[in-house]
Amino acid sequence: MPTDILIAEDEPSILEALSFVLQRAGWTVQSVTDGEAVMQAVRRMRPRVLVLDVMMPKKSGFEVLKQIRADASLRALPVLVLTAKGQQQDKRVAEELGADRFITKPYSNVDVIDTVRELLEANTAESSP
Amino acid sequence: MRAPIGLRISTRRKALSISQAALARAVGVSPSYLNLIEGNKRQVGGTLLQRIAAELGIERDELTGEAEHRLMHELIEAFADPVLADRGMRPEDARHLVATSPGIAAVIAQLYRAYTTAMSSSDAYADRLRADPLLSQLLHQVLSGITAIRSGAEILDSVPDLSSEEQTRFLASISREALGLTAVARNLIGQFDQTSSRSRFASARQEVDDMIFAAQNHFPELEGAAATQRRRIDADGPFDEATMVHLLSRHHAVTIQRSAEPRGGKAFGYEPSSRTLWFRNTVPQSTRQFQMARLIAELNCADVLDDVPGMRRLASPMARQGARRYLATYIAGAILFPYESFLADAVALRYDVDALSERYNASFEQIAHRLVTLRRSGEAGLPFGFLRADPAGRLSKHFPLPGLLLPTSGHACPLWAIYSAFRTSGQIVRQVARFSDGSRFLFVAKAVSRASSGFTDVALPHSVLLITDILHADETVYGDGLNLSDSRLDVPVGPTCRLCTRTDCASRQEEPWSPGGESIPPTLVEV
Repeated sequence: MPTDILIAEDEPSILEALSFVLQRAGWTVQSVTDGEAVMQAVRRMRPRVLVLDVMMPKKSGFEVLKQIRADASLRALPVLVLTAKGQQQDKRVAEELGADRFITKPYSNVDVIDTVRELLEANTAESSP
Repeated sequence: MRAPIGLRISTRRKALSISQAALARAVGVSPSYLNLIEGNKRQVGGTLLQRIAAELGIERDELTGEAEHRLMHELIEAFADPVLADRGMRPEDARHLVATSPGIAAVIAQLYRAYTTAMSSSDAYADRLRADPLLSQLLHQVLSGITAIRSGAEILDSVPDLSSEEQTRFLASISREALGLTAVARNLIGQFDQTSSRSRFASARQEVDDMIFAAQNHFPELEGAAATQRRRIDADGPFDEATMVHLLSRHHAVTIQRSAEPRGGKAFGYEPSSRTLWFRNTVPQSTRQFQMARLIAELNCADVLDDVPGMRRLASPMARQGARRYLATYIAGAILFPYESFLADAVALRYDVDALSERYNASFEQIAHRLVTLRRSGEAGLPFGFLRADPAGRLSKHFPLPGLLLPTSGHACPLWAIYSAFRTSGQIVRQVARFSDGSRFLFVAKAVSRASSGFTDVALPHSVLLITDILHADETVYGDGLNLSDSRLDVPVGPTCRLCTRTDCASRQEEPWSPGGESIPPTLVEV
């Protein structure tokens, strides 16, 4: 079954709530809980959007993002970055590494849903003939 | 820098509507000379100052005003601070304010002190936040916890027709996260408490310094208590280490222990639970004697310590603890070096600290410290100032000399003998230091280090500085051989680079403060 959204987040409570609301919004959701597993999962599942937490064990979200953008087959994947610090520094790095959007924790679920929808629709629009 | 005696004289004279000529006549000097005195261009002291004070109907102390002098110094520091620098207030303004409106000057000084405490506190927090990975991690945990709770609560609140299983699941998640957050919050608060205690330490130290200064570092009550203790010790046997050991054992069941065991970097200590006073073998007899006397003071004189005037004014427990520690040390010094006989010996030996060390079996620093406290009115020794520095140049333990204010923290002028003493460790270094207002002092310094307990035990020296006015130098052995009247041999110094007005000093380490970008006003006396 094709995956709409892949969530990469290590905090179980956040993951649980996020999965729940995105599924409720009508999308198929899969998840991974550490940075190393993300690349593998992205290649295997080919999600339409990646929701990526920056601070994860084993490999930071920034490193993952860099790797994704370096891979030709994955370069176009829309990525929403979840940052915990919200400092200018984090925003800048996220932009430089090619994040499409980012949201600062703590967030409103509605913001996440709306942003994911934006990314999905943009993607669909681009890829439709 | 000298106290603004001249301005105080003129202020008082004008308040009494006495003309300069009339006052000059009354005290037996020419009006032009009195004019120079009032303009702080000539120093005045001795009997002339006495006559002037008498004519003006005030005490001599009110004219020399040591407390006001310290206040003036605090104001000068405040004016030099970047927060006030653009106001363009100069040292003369500080002098004027202290002489004419001491109440307002005191308020400004107090506000500045509160400001610097608050600034260093917030600096400490900022440093901590920036540099501490643990704090960063804790903050991350706080954010994650809040994110989970907010997300879960939003679900419970706004998602329609949640199944009861789903409700339970998210409620449980919120509970769990809230518990986790509690632990993190406690940890965070603990971290912040540690940070703020650093600045509390600085102001506690300042409080204790104020108390010591107000008492001119002489405590008659403690001298009395020390004399009592000394009599008891003398009644028990010859005054030596063995007698004190015996007394401590008999009256307080204290045992003395000497060992070669490393005990957490300390050379000696007292364990109240086992009533053991222990010393490393490398500790000299002078230290053992002193620490025994101090323990005797702490055990026998606790109530006297609390009755010292100024103790009650100390605001924080940390300050009170620091004060008690210092006062117990004071009593120890008074026990080991009883006032009358020590003063007599000091005068007879012309304040030769090493000679006194030998006679009393004491360390250089112990003797120097005791000399500073010989300020009983009517029976005082030479007035001395005292300063101690570590090899990094950091100052500690400062006792100001009436008439000269010492830097209270940080570093002093690099030319001072206290620092050159490190280069000839173990030998006395002396210099005649001349400040830019013409005042001259005899500086005597020595760097001493404890015994090392092994090759890897780096026994760093520290340096002790004694200061006396050049007027008294010939009463000390350290004035011998120096041509005290030839000022060409003086070392031109300042208090510390930032506040020093010497623009041509080759040893300057820091830019001088200059108000509003103007150049430093010229010195009052031609150097």
